[in-house]
Order: sequence, then structure tokens, then C-alpha cells
Amino acid sequence: MYAKEMVKQSLPLIVFCGLGAIVAGSTLGVMTDLFLEIPGLIVVIPAIIALRGNISTAFGSRLGSAYHLGIIDADNLWNEELKQNVIGSLMLSFFVSIIIGVLAYVTSILMNVYPNPIKIISIVLIAGIISGVILTILTISIIYLVFKRGYDPDNITGPALATFGDIITMLCIFGSAVLVEVIL
Amino acid sequence: MIYSWKKIVKHGIPLLTLTIFIEIFAGQLLLYKQDGLLWFPIFLISIPVINSVSGNIGSVLGARLASGLHVGYISISMKDKKMHDNLIISILMGVVTYAILAIVIYCIALFSNLRVGIGLFEFITILLSAGFLLICIVSLASVLTAFLSFKRGLDPDDMVAPVVTTIGDVMGIVFLFSIINVFGVGI
Repeated sequence: MYAKEMVKQSLPLIVFCGLGAIVAGSTLGVMTDLFLEIPGLIVVIPAIIALRGNISTAFGSRLGSAYHLGIIDADNLWNEELKQNVIGSLMLSFFVSIIIGVLAYVTSILMNVYPNPIKIISIVLIAGIISGVILTILTISIIYLVFKRGYDPDNITGPALATFGDIITMLCIFGSAVLVEVIL
Repeated sequence: MIYSWKKIVKHGIPLLTLTIFIEIFAGQLLLYKQDGLLWFPIFLISIPVINSVSGNIGSVLGARLASGLHVGYISISMKDKKMHDNLIISILMGVVTYAILAIVIYCIALFSNLRVGIGLFEFITILLSAGFLLICIVSLASVLTAFLSFKRGLDPDDMVAPVVTTIGDVMGIVFLFSIINVFGVGI
């Protein structure tokens, strides 16, 4: 019965997250023309999705621990501890986005593809920061709802953020690629 | 005060940078096969799906092993019976999930007037084969990461998710392209 319970509890959520990933994948499907117009853009996709996933799940699980430690709760949410967490996550997004852009540019040259460095770096930076802000707000909202209802945040924030994170990040890359392509 | 943004950045940068290096390699694989992927967008759509499923199954497995190790009903041994059960169920769940999602992706591709260029049966076989190989590798990585980190006094809960998602992202793309090659689709 051990197996049955494990399947019952996690299979629906894994399939649901997979459906979310199909939405993220379909955004890639829509972007085919952009990949042709901006050489090297496809290189940043796995990195920026991973960046978003790692930063926001770590943020979510820190807030979960802070809740268990009694540092934050529904009535005392926006305090200095949370502020430090928000600034930390956004700063990480900023620095690592720049690293992604530079690495994508340098490694592409090694592959004999010559992207426009300004375009690639600004696309990653804009997408990284905007998706960072949106996901930070989303995480705090999810955490608030979870606190209000008395659930354990550790069980909910991980999968919820992974699913929404992928979709929001893809839409942000799509949006910032279009924006940069129009402006530059 | 427990948290400071400088500490969060300082602790986060090394692991994130390492992850990014590996993910950029995955990205270069995509660039290398970009023409094929743009010609068969159904595989482009599949990439986040393949990675999401393997990452989630690997993380769930890791979290379960971590709890078992912490509480003590799983021991650090490659012969542990409970670990075997968890491993086999994870692989089975992976196969079922990939089968369901492959059908969903194919239907979406058909209804959205995408250039599909491949039969349903062939597509499912490719996705299932790549998915099966990937789940096996990721589950194994999850067990090893959980055991090794626990042995060294690190919390497996912190280690497993980043390790398995990164391995899954790269190997997912490698397995997908390899299986496509075996089937001679011509990406």
C-alpha cells in the first residue's frame, strides 16, 4: 500500500506540472522566428529557466523555514527578514542574468555563431529581472495564502513555483526578446 | 535578524554559477540542433516537458529518501529494499507521465496547425524511450546524491533538487537528440 499512496499523492501533481511545462514549451514553439532573427537566443533558454527555478524554490523554502521558526506569519509578513530575502533574490537574479548573457555570448563564438552581445545580455537581464519581480510577488502571495489556511508551506511552494515559474519565465524571455528586437 | 541579502547572494552565487555553466552547455546543444528543432517544433515544445518531469520525479524521490534517511527507515546501502521500491515506483511514474504528456503534446501540435511531420506512434516511442533513459539516470543520481550528502552530514533536502534538475536538463536534451537520431527523423 506504500506504493499506492506514493503514486496517489505525487503522480497528479507531476502530470499537472508537466501540463504547465507544455505551456512553457508552446511559448518556445511560438518563438521560432525570433530564434532565427536573434542568433544565440536559444542558448540562454535552459539557463534562465534553471536560474528562475533555483532562485525561487530556494526563496520559497527559506520562507517555509522562517515560518517554522516563527519569524514570519500571515499577520507579520512584510518585515525586515522578508525584505532581506526579497532583496537577496532580486540581486541574485541581476548578477546571474549578466553571467548567463556573457557566457552565452562567449560560448556561441566558440561555436562559430556570432550573436549581438548587447542584444543577448539585455534580453537575459530584462527577462531575469521582470520574471524575478513577478515570481517574488507570486511567492509572497502563495505564502500568505498558505499561512492563512494553516498549511505547511514546504509541501506547496516547491511544485507551485516550479510550474508557474517556467511559464512566467518563458513569457518574459519572449516579451523581452520582442522588445529588444524592436528597440535595438 | 537571521537573513541578510548579502549572505543570500554570497551563498547563492557559487552553486548558481556552476549550474549556469552546465545549463549553457545544454543551450549550446540546442543551438547546434537549432535548424532541426525549428523544422520539427514538436520537439522544441517537448524539451521543457521532458526536463520538468525528470526534475520533479527526481526531486520527489530525493525528498522521500531524505525523510527516510533522517527518520531512519532507509539505510545507506545500494541493497536497501525501501530504496529499491522508491526507485522502481519513480521510474514507473515517469513512464506513465511521459506517455500521457506525449499524447497531449501531439494533440496540441495537431490542433494548433503546427508542422508536425511525424506520426503519433513514432513520436510517443521517441519521447518514451528518451524519457525512460532519462528517468533511470536521474533517479539513480537522486539516490546517489541523497546517500552521499547524508553520509557527509549535509542535508539531502538542499542538495538533491539542484543536482537532479541540472543533470536532467542536460541529459534530457542529449537523450532526446540521440533517440531522434536512432529513429532517423533527421534533426
